[in-house]
Amino acid sequence: MALALITGAGGGLGAAVARRLASCGHLVALNDRPDRPVGELAAELDGIAAPADVSDPGAVREMVEHVERRTGDHIGILVANAAYSTLSPFAEHDLDDWWRIVDVNLGGTFACAQAVMPGMVERGGGRMVLVSSEWGVTGRPDATAHSASKAGIIALAKSLGRELAPLGIAVNAIAPSLIDTRRLEVDAAAAGVTGEEVRARYAARVPLGRIAVPEEIAAAIAFLADDRLPALVGQILHVNGGTTRTRA
Amino acid sequence: MRERVALVTGAAGGIGGAMVRELAGRGWTTAALDLRPAPDAAYSVGVDVADPVQVTAVVRRIEREMGPIEAALCAAGHYALVPVSDIAWEDWIRMLRVHLGGLVNVCRAVTPGMAERGHGAVIGVASDLALAGGDAEAHYAAAKGAVIGLVRSLAAELAPAGVRVNAVAPGPTDTPLLPPDSPWRRPAFVQALPTGRLATAEEIALAAAYLVEDGTFCAGEVLSPNAGAVI
Repeated sequence: MALALITGAGGGLGAAVARRLASCGHLVALNDRPDRPVGELAAELDGIAAPADVSDPGAVREMVEHVERRTGDHIGILVANAAYSTLSPFAEHDLDDWWRIVDVNLGGTFACAQAVMPGMVERGGGRMVLVSSEWGVTGRPDATAHSASKAGIIALAKSLGRELAPLGIAVNAIAPSLIDTRRLEVDAAAAGVTGEEVRARYAARVPLGRIAVPEEIAAAIAFLADDRLPALVGQILHVNGGTTRTRA
Repeated sequence: MRERVALVTGAAGGIGGAMVRELAGRGWTTAALDLRPAPDAAYSVGVDVADPVQVTAVVRRIEREMGPIEAALCAAGHYALVPVSDIAWEDWIRMLRVHLGGLVNVCRAVTPGMAERGHGAVIGVASDLALAGGDAEAHYAAAKGAVIGLVRSLAAELAPAGVRVNAVAPGPTDTPLLPPDSPWRRPAFVQALPTGRLATAEEIALAAAYLVEDGTFCAGEVLSPNAGAVI
């Protein structure tokens, strides 16, 4: 059993991943931004809260040091899930916001991977699961920053997969399609439609006829975090209900 | 409660055998189809998967005696290292009939029942060579590439009925399929792999078991545990 750091654990997917990894017997460290507290979930799962803005590399390093000091262990599993996203037509997208998306999603993943690496090397190996997105594979109108950042995560997983495998660290990525979380309701409300309409619109183009629930994406992440699979490196697991034309 | 039944072809081989043991460990009853006996399976029958009549007959018998097949894993296959100029037509046909035909024959026999029941999982076994090609491996790579095309198309066709079709695409794996003098066993090749070692049959079986049991939103996916050979 390992110490697992899950970033973005305050969101629907992050929380499901935390529950799943805790149920596998891992000790979970839950990260989210300081203004999105995760203490309650951490207490429920006998884990620890590890607040930090992942786009601040100094804060990430301190957070990792804190977690490793608190637990007396090195992080063996990283689930880099923290993300920030807004939708906007490309020409109108505020440039600062555009970069904020890239810096949180791609930069935050980089910062977390770099911060946990030395500990993983010291403990003789580890596993990193980088959370990309179907949009990182296919692209999407009005989501250029999100798509670029998530495509960057795929290339990062492939490069880190090659670079870190000799050190016993297996890096892979997951590319889920739309997930049924609270965020979906929030985005739907912002767009002036109901959550049900959003679900139906997406489900209509998915061969399995529905959108994903967080638990099955969490199961896929737990699979990629399984240390019995050292031969699985640099791969992208598409969990998209069978939209088979949407892959790298 | 009756145990769930999984059909595994090529179950006397390295990867098929590991699939049988992995699924048995998870509480499945395994039925093995292979030219040779599969000692680890609950039920083993000698079948050439390239023959649709034999496959259909044995699937009917298994379902009658053991219950509906809820998962089918198609690992039957053979391998040859031959320059394309030396591939005999009969060998080309045999390669296609076993790898692609074996999957087609099993799917034709088991998926109608799965669709009727509203659930089921099929796993094709492709290869990282289907993704990247290989020198002197043209007919093997072509057959495995065809497996991927079939898997993705069947996935799109059968997902609405609740049947999930996915594939694993193993990289160089330490099984009897790789002879001792295989170039994939040369120290220089193995050391050049990012992981520095061949994959194991158990790892391929774990990936397949994930797709069968936990990959409930995976359809048409090709999962490639390949030691970093193809990224």
